[in-house]
Amino acid sequence: MSEVIYSIRGLSVEYATRSGAVRAVDGVDLDIRRGEILGLVGESGCGKSTLGKAMMRMITPPGRIVTGELWFEGQDLMQLSERKMRAIRGGRIGMVFQDPMTSLNPVQRIVDHLTETIRTHEPSVTEAAARARAEELVERLGIRRERLDDYPHQLSGGMRQRVMISLALALRAGLVIADEPTTSLDVIVEAKFLDLLRELRDEFDLTIVLITHNIGVVAEVADRVAVMYAGRLAELGDVLEVFGEPRHPYTQGLLQAVPNIELDGAELYQMQGSPPSLLDPPPGCRFHPRCPEAMPICSAETPAFQSVSGEHLAACWLYQEHPEVVADA
Amino acid sequence: MHPLSIVFLIIGVPAAVLLLYVFVRGSGGLRRYVITRIGLTIPMIFILASLVFLVLRIIPGDPVTSSLGPKGSPELKARLRAELGLEDPLIVQYGRFLGDVVTLDFGRSLVGGQRRIVDEMGERFPATLELVIPGTILALGIGLLFGTYAAAHRRRAPDYALRMYGVVIYSMPIFWLGLLFQLVFAVKLGWFPVAGRIDAVIGTTVERTTNMLLVDTLISGNWAAFRSVLRHLVLPAVTLGLILSGVFLRLTRINVIETLQQDYVTAARARGIRERVVVYRHALKNAMIPVITLIGLQVAILLAGAVLTETVFAWPGMGRYLVERISVRDYTAVQSVITMFALFVALISLFVDILYSLLDPRVRY
Amino acid sequence: MTEAPPEVPVWRTDLERIGLVRRILRARRWYRADWWFVAISSVLVAGFVVLALVPGVFAPHDPREQVGPRLLAPGEAPELEALVVPAGSGVNELADLVSEERIKVGVVQGTPSSEAVRDAAARVTERLRADGGDERLRIRVVRHETLDEALRGLEAGETVAVVGSSSELARVLDDHPGLVMVGPVDGEGAVAGRGFPLGTNQLGQDVLSRLIWGTRVAFLIGFASALLSLAAGLPLGLIAGYVGGKTDRVMSLVMDSLYAFPGLILAIAITAVLGPSIFNVIVAIAVVYVPTYYRIVRGQALSVKEELYVEAARSLGATNRDILRRYVYPNVIPSVAIIFSVNVADAILTGAGLSFLGLGLPPDTPDWGIDLARGQENIQNAWWLITFPGLAVMSVVLAFTMMGEGLMEIFNPKLRDR
Repeated sequence: MSEVIYSIRGLSVEYATRSGAVRAVDGVDLDIRRGEILGLVGESGCGKSTLGKAMMRMITPPGRIVTGELWFEGQDLMQLSERKMRAIRGGRIGMVFQDPMTSLNPVQRIVDHLTETIRTHEPSVTEAAARARAEELVERLGIRRERLDDYPHQLSGGMRQRVMISLALALRAGLVIADEPTTSLDVIVEAKFLDLLRELRDEFDLTIVLITHNIGVVAEVADRVAVMYAGRLAELGDVLEVFGEPRHPYTQGLLQAVPNIELDGAELYQMQGSPPSLLDPPPGCRFHPRCPEAMPICSAETPAFQSVSGEHLAACWLYQEHPEVVADA
Repeated sequence: MHPLSIVFLIIGVPAAVLLLYVFVRGSGGLRRYVITRIGLTIPMIFILASLVFLVLRIIPGDPVTSSLGPKGSPELKARLRAELGLEDPLIVQYGRFLGDVVTLDFGRSLVGGQRRIVDEMGERFPATLELVIPGTILALGIGLLFGTYAAAHRRRAPDYALRMYGVVIYSMPIFWLGLLFQLVFAVKLGWFPVAGRIDAVIGTTVERTTNMLLVDTLISGNWAAFRSVLRHLVLPAVTLGLILSGVFLRLTRINVIETLQQDYVTAARARGIRERVVVYRHALKNAMIPVITLIGLQVAILLAGAVLTETVFAWPGMGRYLVERISVRDYTAVQSVITMFALFVALISLFVDILYSLLDPRVRY
Repeated sequence: MTEAPPEVPVWRTDLERIGLVRRILRARRWYRADWWFVAISSVLVAGFVVLALVPGVFAPHDPREQVGPRLLAPGEAPELEALVVPAGSGVNELADLVSEERIKVGVVQGTPSSEAVRDAAARVTERLRADGGDERLRIRVVRHETLDEALRGLEAGETVAVVGSSSELARVLDDHPGLVMVGPVDGEGAVAGRGFPLGTNQLGQDVLSRLIWGTRVAFLIGFASALLSLAAGLPLGLIAGYVGGKTDRVMSLVMDSLYAFPGLILAIAITAVLGPSIFNVIVAIAVVYVPTYYRIVRGQALSVKEELYVEAARSLGATNRDILRRYVYPNVIPSVAIIFSVNVADAILTGAGLSFLGLGLPPDTPDWGIDLARGQENIQNAWWLITFPGLAVMSVVLAFTMMGEGLMEIFNPKLRDR
């Protein structure tokens, strides 16, 4: 078991809206291990992007981190000053965003994006030296160094995404959080991108948190997978185990919903119901209104997130001891 | 040399530089855009000039009767009318008017001395420019800086205070602000002169070449005059600048707020870039572009403000000339001034649009 | 609130299902300062509207009449004008001086005394007539350089009485033992002392009354021109945006040219041509703002036109008029409302500018711009003449602008927090 480089404990994030407070992330505990690719999957609105942002303390008003501890490299990030946090952002943890077109400054050249990042964290580096490093970096990622002087709109989608990675790696960060990095890419470019991720992980000893709603991507490239639903973790474990033998009914539903070439004319499975409103979430287990195996206890008490077998965790009463409790209507 | 050549130089030189840059270093797309834009300006000027012509011809009666009133004999009036070509059919008059516009020769004043109108303009336009340029620079400076500051502190005290400032200053009539400045700083405190452009006595020592007194006095080393002009310039320029700063402040604020919501700003923060750098370098640079183009629109407000400011401070510019000529019913001059204004506005907005296309790399498709 | 059919995705908030009043109160918590902006300014605007509708109720004096001494500072009590006569003459009040001929009364030149005594004489005459007599009190005013001179003239018999400010007289009268101050020239008490809280101008008119009456002129100009602009710009914009094509291009070219042109100068040109009257001012300003409505409405019409639900509606057989009425129109209203309030503000500013320049309004109209222009003539010694009218303009414009600003922050989706 490799070491844990990032440990999330009891994280809750809330957004203030006109109609009340919305808890986008509710009491999440998660450990991220060195060198792994951890896939974080879930439907839109389940809180995975918020979790990713919270890991870098990039939640802005009207959102805020209500409670939690974020242990990284021996410190609780929640206790750090903004200045120290800035050093970590980009320096120790990097982020790759979903839409590379809008994530790059349209009036800034590519090279300037990179040199600015480098020189912000290492002010003693000269402009020339920073440029040299930038050149090396993008070439490693398969972009010709002449393209550095271009503006973002002059590059293709795939290249822009690679530029985003290079920005996340400019300072040899150990942890990279990729928020829906392939959603805006077509399938072929996406495949190349995932290969690149793997290569980089091996070469630079990276740890990657891959946030996506695309199960296929996770299945292909992740070591472990965490499934989120309505702000909470539903299931976590080795990717082969979780996808091979999904325990949580939500995960089972997700996997059934993936169109399969062997469907052979059968109808596409559709999970009944829809994701709950986070303003007024269902009591107990949040999935129970849609769960085909819901029991009375599910609407009364929240199941703990605990081991089902070994390193495979799930939050479901099906796998836990429960007293006989009659649920109140 | 045409009396208005100074004005042309001031507008023309930067414009020429700009166009040179566009056609030498610009891409094909950019060149095409610029040519199209220039092409559009011509109908715009045409329409404006025609509107001016139309508006001033709706007068029941004619300029001659209105200006001379009961003073002239019918024969005199008839002769003047013929001289001014008012007896000709409207189409002919229109054609002649357009010709005047193109050659920038507006004939002579109807009233008060038969001076050539372009000569008068040659003296007064630079005066207006001398007022308007420092005013704009001041307004931009305040607006951009504080607008960004307000956006960066949105929904907190500085934002509300600055928005209040923007709104209050916009609500003030510019001539009232001018009057207040006059009252406080000139009459009560005596720090600055009450009105005028230069001390009358010193004024006679100035050699006029460009008719922009700051420049002329600098060239001839006439320091006393330079100081005098500067002292006279402060109150009117600050009045103009402050009023406009409100507009720029609000524009900048809104644009920066929008820009700060963009993904690349979040991405920059995720790379650990300091907030101040993010706001003032990244966001402002992007937000500035639409603000600068809106200067083109503000030229209109600027000219209106200039008219009022010049009246308050008795500054001998085009604005005051217009008001003067209206009160003596010199319609030829009025028509010419308004046409000049229209031309000026059209050209400045053309200039700004081209500048915008240069600044925003995305426009060069 | 326009009632939209349920399937139309007109802009709406989650709060729309609750009642209007509760919605307004709920909005306060969310929009905070902007809510206060709109609330306070609405109250102010309402107040001004009341002033504009019934200025006579609030204004203490007639704005066009000379009701007091000239250039009285705010809060300054007008000097009491007192009557001075030789001691023992038996004259106790002005009425006692009635005779067949004109009586000579000495005053100091350049003071309010001559008007005061003339006014008083007129009132005496009125009283006498009312009592059924046919006598008149006719005054010949004899001007002197100083009060001392006037008093000496009285002693010498050149005049039968002297009228001067009571405080001055109190100082100087000791030097003239043969003369006595018998009381205010008005006898039975001065003019109903409503006072001049904001002073008077160089024509003796009450500044406050002129201010209040000026509200009516300002609002008339502001609202009328804004409504006119709206009436012209809204349909034009709808047509251009919705119909598109060449009509749109031609109209837009004209409107853009107009829009770029300095509003004030256009208004100046039009009023110069049409002549001075409030109606012409309204028309002139209205023309200036038509392009603004045109652009906004056209923009909205264009974007709504592209929406899928319009296509859907059309495929279900909706006519153009239906679409305009049910989809485009309701979406246009919030923007138009904001523009309208800003428009009124701007129109009032432009109107004031025009009258400041001496264009457009007849010169005796109680108008803020005119007052400011006149005030400038006395800037050296009467600061209140420019301060208060300007403050009035600013307050009214501010109220409308705040309303527009606040509404804009609330309605503009682009500025909402994500």
